[in-house]
Amino acid sequence: MRESVGIIATINKKKYEIEVAPNTTLLDVLRDQLGLTGTKRGCEIGECGACTVLIDGQAVNSCLVLAAQIDGHEIVTIEGLADGNTLHPLQESFLDHDAVHCGFCTPGMLMSAKALVDGDIDPSEEEIRIAISGNLCRCSGYQQIVDAVKEIPKK
Amino acid sequence: MYIRVVSVFIRGKYSMRLFEFYSPRTFDEATALLSQYGADAKIIAGGTDLLIELRKPGAKTPKAIIDISKISELTGIREEGDLVVLNALTTHSDILRSQTLQKHASLLCSAASTIGSPQIRNRGTVGGNIMNAATCADMVPPLIALDAQVTLKSRGGTRTSSLSEFFVKPYVTSARPDEILIDIRFPKPPAAASSSFVKLGRRNAVSISRLSVAAILHVEKNALVKEARIVPGSAFPTWQRVMEAESILVGKKPSRELFAEAGKKVAEVMISITGRRWSTEYKEPVIAVLVRRALEACWDN
Repeated sequence: MRESVGIIATINKKKYEIEVAPNTTLLDVLRDQLGLTGTKRGCEIGECGACTVLIDGQAVNSCLVLAAQIDGHEIVTIEGLADGNTLHPLQESFLDHDAVHCGFCTPGMLMSAKALVDGDIDPSEEEIRIAISGNLCRCSGYQQIVDAVKEIPKK
Repeated sequence: MYIRVVSVFIRGKYSMRLFEFYSPRTFDEATALLSQYGADAKIIAGGTDLLIELRKPGAKTPKAIIDISKISELTGIREEGDLVVLNALTTHSDILRSQTLQKHASLLCSAASTIGSPQIRNRGTVGGNIMNAATCADMVPPLIALDAQVTLKSRGGTRTSSLSEFFVKPYVTSARPDEILIDIRFPKPPAAASSSFVKLGRRNAVSISRLSVAAILHVEKNALVKEARIVPGSAFPTWQRVMEAESILVGKKPSRELFAEAGKKVAEVMISITGRRWSTEYKEPVIAVLVRRALEACWDN
């Protein structure tokens, strides 16, 4: 049985050629092989959203994607959000609105929010709430998060 | 310039056992692999059900996993004359946003919008929802109400089956191990018909159906019901239209009382099939109300 599969994928705008074990998830590969630990390991059953990343611009739970399935796709993780030392407007807005409490849900929240605002620069409150409905925050800081997404500094 | 990563680590709270992984690009490659492995292979598309299953303690790991997500013919929604065709890899998000479905079968869009979270809807496919065959599968009641057929392909050829006869019992379909579900098709309901899907879950998002109802109601110009279809979800071991309740509506003038009567009939039929269980005290009145609400939602449209 083959213990690894070769894949080529773009992760945060860099091309990677990676040998992945068939029985690993995208989350495992990001965190343990590539050291991109900003993506959090939470429930591992697709309910908490802490592991949210973008595949071809769409928010997905990286715990529910086989690593081998990302061959040929483009992934963006939380590490790909800032541009060098310049934070993404969403990150600035999260800081401005105190939308980070313990911080564990924050990377996933930001990725879900990014998928939303990339498609629609002025979403309604309802659209924001739906967009982050797959991300649990147990500090219950949802209102600040919704406010932060609603009032992204326009740049 | 590639960044070459050579180390392989396997970790995770819930780990999977090793399997062969194949990623065919064509139907021929996929059906050849399926005929080679038979019941030892498992198909993966979005993976939102399968990866959870594979990581359960004591899970049965297939010898091979065949990823069909790179077969491009399997994506897309199209109209073919009087039919609407959903290719098997159509995601719940695709369904939710489809203008074609909004126009011809808006209950599919409603049902898709209640599944999981945006993350799940972006990965999960209508084909996977059917093939996993969980009694709480939210796409199935609307598709049965629409009288959908499924198309299955194997090395031996292609066959179709009516969706209402496709399921054997919870988590078991009549698909052979060497078959791939390639599309789901249904006739467009009459333009004057309207449809709805209502669902009861334990919360608003990332919620499994406790009970649901898909309904289609066709009221004629003379204000009488010409046709009604009612398909409850999570109520029976496999799905079916409740003809006894549908026939109460036909030929009558729509009203809240009439819809409530149909709801009571659905509750009665449900109990005649499943028997009285610990949950019946709750489900009996609730399914009746959900049916009434689903019919009212059709009527309001």
